[in-house]
Order: sequence, then C-alpha cells, then structure tokens
Amino acid sequence: MTLGRRRTIFGYALLAPAIVFVGVLIAYPLVLSLQLSVTPGRFASLRSSEGGFSFEHYVTVLGSPETWASLLRTGIYVAGTVIPAFAIGLAVALLLREAFPGRRWLRTAILLPWAVPGVAASAVFLWMFDASFGVVNQILFHLGLISTPIAWYSSADTAMFGVIVPTAWKLFPFFAMILLAALQTIPQDLYEAARVDGAGRYQQFAHVTWPGVRGAAFTALIIASLGVYREFDFIFPLTRGGPNNATTTMAIAIYQEAFQFSNLGFAAALGIVSIAIAAVFVLIAGRDLRKV
Amino acid sequence: MSVSVRGRKASVSAVRVVVSLLIALAAIFPIYWMLITAIRPSSQLLSPQLALFPDGSATLEGFIGLFTQNPALTWLANSTLITLGSTVLSTVISVFAGYSLSRFGGRGQQVMGLTLLMSRMLPGSLLVIPLYVVFLNLGLVNNLFALVIINTAFIVPFTTWMLKAFFDGIPREIEEAAFVDGAGLFRTLWTIILPLSGPGIAAAVTYAAVLAWADFLFARTLLTNQAVWPVTQGIASFMGDYRTAWNEIMALGVVSIVPMILLFLATERFLVSSLTAGAVKG
Repeated sequence: MTLGRRRTIFGYALLAPAIVFVGVLIAYPLVLSLQLSVTPGRFASLRSSEGGFSFEHYVTVLGSPETWASLLRTGIYVAGTVIPAFAIGLAVALLLREAFPGRRWLRTAILLPWAVPGVAASAVFLWMFDASFGVVNQILFHLGLISTPIAWYSSADTAMFGVIVPTAWKLFPFFAMILLAALQTIPQDLYEAARVDGAGRYQQFAHVTWPGVRGAAFTALIIASLGVYREFDFIFPLTRGGPNNATTTMAIAIYQEAFQFSNLGFAAALGIVSIAIAAVFVLIAGRDLRKV
Repeated sequence: MSVSVRGRKASVSAVRVVVSLLIALAAIFPIYWMLITAIRPSSQLLSPQLALFPDGSATLEGFIGLFTQNPALTWLANSTLITLGSTVLSTVISVFAGYSLSRFGGRGQQVMGLTLLMSRMLPGSLLVIPLYVVFLNLGLVNNLFALVIINTAFIVPFTTWMLKAFFDGIPREIEEAAFVDGAGLFRTLWTIILPLSGPGIAAAVTYAAVLAWADFLFARTLLTNQAVWPVTQGIASFMGDYRTAWNEIMALGVVSIVPMILLFLATERFLVSSLTAGAVKG
C-alpha cells in the first residue's frame, strides 16, 4: 500500500468516531423528528409503524397564533440577551486589553460566570429576584426606587426581563473571551500609524479596532444567538414558560408540547419550523457578514 | 505638555480600573450572594431587611441540611461520573477528528464546519423527543451511560473545531521530520503532536466538562429516577419547592459551581487563545 493511500485511510479512521457519534445521536434523531412531524394523528408515535403521511401538524403549527407569538418572544429573548451581553463583553475586552495592576485577577473574576451551570445561575437569580425577600427588591426599596415589591417572575410584564438577566450574565464572558483574543491579533503598529495621522480615540476604534475584531465579533454573535435561540436551562427552571406563556420561547414550547401535552407530532413540526427559521437567520446574517 | 498628557493618561487608566471593577462586581455578585445565603441561618433568610454582608451568625446549617436531608452526595457523584465520562470520551474523539481535519482534511473539513453550525441550530428540546423514545426502547432511560454518550455527541462538534484550529497552528515540518525518521502515522500523532498540544487539549477538556456538568435538558428528560439525577436536576427540583430552605438550595449551588470554578481557574489562560482560534476561523 502506498503512503498516500495509507494516509487517506488513516485520516478517515481518525474522523470515524466523531462521525458515528454525531450521526447516531444528532442526525438520526433529526430524521426521526422529521418522520414524526409528518405522521398524522394527535398521538403520533415513533412506535406506530403504519403511520401514514400528512402535513397536518405543519398546518396546525403555521396556523396557530401561539406559534408566531412564541417566535416574537424568542426574538425578544435572543436580542434582549445577546445585544447587552455583546456590549458588555466588548467593553470588558477593551478595558482589559492593556496591562494594569491586578488585571489578571479582574479578568478571572469577570470571566467566571461562563463556568457556572445555567441551572445554578437560575437558582440564585430566582432567589435574588424573590418578590418578598430578594436582594434586588430590597436594594431598589432601600434606594427609594420602588415602594411596593416587584413580583419579577410571577408577573407577565417582568418575567421576560427576569429570564434575560441570568442568560446575559452567563453569556457576556463568552464575548469577552472571543474579543479579547481577537484584539490581541491587531498589530500595535496600526495604532501608532493612526496616531501619527492624528486619529483620536474614537477614530482609532472605528478604523483600527473594529475592523480588526469584526470577523470574530460576527461569528461569535451568530454562534451565541443560535445558542440563546435554543436555550432551555434558564427559562424552564425559572418560569416553565409562564406566567401565562409570557416566557414561552420556541425551545420551551417544543418541550412542553412533547413532554407535558404528549403532542409529539405537533412538537416535532414546531421544532422543524424553528430549525428552518434559524437556517434563514444564518443565511441572512452570513450574507450581511460579508457585506459589513 | 508632557505632564498634561501623562495626567490624562493616568485618569484614563483610573477610569479603566474603576469600570472594570464595577463589571467584575456585577459578574461576581450572584456567586457571592449564593455563598452568603448558603451560610446564613434559616431564621434570617425570610427577613425584609437588606443585609449585604454576613454577620456573626454565619452557620453551616444550610450545608448540613442539604447533605443530611437530601441525596446531594449522590447527585454530585452522578454529575461527576457523567462529566468524567463525557469529557474523556469527547476529548479523545475530537483529538482524532481535529487532527484528521487539520492534516488530512479535504471535503471533510467543510462537512465538519457545516455540522458544527447545524448542531448549533438544532434545538435540544426537539432532538430529545426521539432520543427519549430510542433510549426507552433500548432500556437506557435512567442510565448514566446514556447521558455520557448524548453529551459527548453534542460536545464533539465544538471541541473538534477548537482542536483543529489548534493543530493548524503546529507546523507540518515537525511531523515530516518524524516521518523521515521512520515513525508511523499514529506514532507521530502520539509522540510528536500530542506533547505539543497541552494548551489546546486543556481548553477542549474545560469546554467539554463545563457543558457536561451543566447539562439539564437531557438529564431532566432521560433521568426520571431521583437516585440517578445529576446536581443540575437536583437544583431545579428545589426551585419552587417550598419545603427546601434557601440556604440549602444555595449550598447546593455553591457545591455545584466549585468544581467548575477550580477547573476554570486552572485552564483560563488557555481558554482565551484556543476558544478564539476556533471562532475566528470558523
């Protein structure tokens, strides 16, 4: 056997375990979900082989106002989380790029939330935002900003805010890490050249810093948005999608339909629709990414 | 003039330090609050008074209640088994796959990139439906092994990509020299490449462990028996359960984040560079 051939076989052999795992545990369930979504009946099941074929679940999903309401809530949850998390992450990266005493400790402290499990973060925020004994209401009361306690998670007006805060808290270090490293790739000469040309701080940011991190920033924004889009670990333990569906995003709706209402066909169709929406988002964002 | 420039510079860096401190405070506060609540006696928990600092009444009552009245040790052990299993398995698989894509990659690379993006688009709450049915038929519901392989499958696309980017940074000449000396393909990977890959592997291990330890969706769906729950499912079961005092819930929160924080402290310096290498190129 030639070396070239041996190399090819070796290359595929190394790749094989990854393909098997992803194929069996991600691609195959995806195919089963597709199958489920076109199996007619209220109690469509993977075990009934007679099945049949129908788009009725898609008709129900697309015709239901709740689908579009949950899509809108998902959009609010994603934008409400990702935009502030990105802004804070960028600020952190810019603040920490230059050396000052204690920077290493500050950096570690700031990045720490990334390592905290979503459910643990949810638990402490549920306690901090507790209506009667939570520290957030106590501080607001102490500062004279409120006179009656706010029932953060049991009021439909504030519940979305209440799930966004812990999600953004865990997410912003991700942006900070990506942007910190991207900043390190910008050559110092560029700043010196800009200063020689008389550029101020904002011009330096606009013409040197931002172009240097733009690619990494957009990739991170897309990856993070997709992550928040399907996020489960904050909303489910905090509100189960309530009160009155106020925090039911598509990811939560899929789970509730399947595991609470045993509406598997509908849940699968809703899931496939949500993937299609994410794909459209990625295509549009990818196109804009090349333009910017 | 030089004095005023230096003065402005000093004030700018003072602003920098103050703003950094404020953000660090916001980042740390929930973790601090978890700890403070965990060591507060239950008699002081349900008080409308603002008390930002612990006083002399600090107690281990919350931890004692947590471990004596709940199977918290079992939950921690289950989380540890799931995390160790998924981390070892996913790291081995993605070292192989990342190396393959870096050195032997043709079309495989594009497929892997697409898979990474795809796996990010797929809602776990959708895939867990057929996974539940399949594992039920296989008799693997309430089995920790099921969690190990599911977590591995969802970790592998990302860590493979991270490691591929890391291996791309190792010059090929190093391997070619080894080939000339007659070393085989696998031997080259094992004795030449791996010893150079510490930082990349450390980052991949951290990422894998953080994900596996944090998993709640798959655990909640596939582990219905309390004896096999991981710590995340334990915490979620406490939330909204009025029989459990907040100092016990926060004590479980504290013990659930300590291992991840220690891991993070040990590998943080590798994370920034490795995470980015993948993201920038991805």
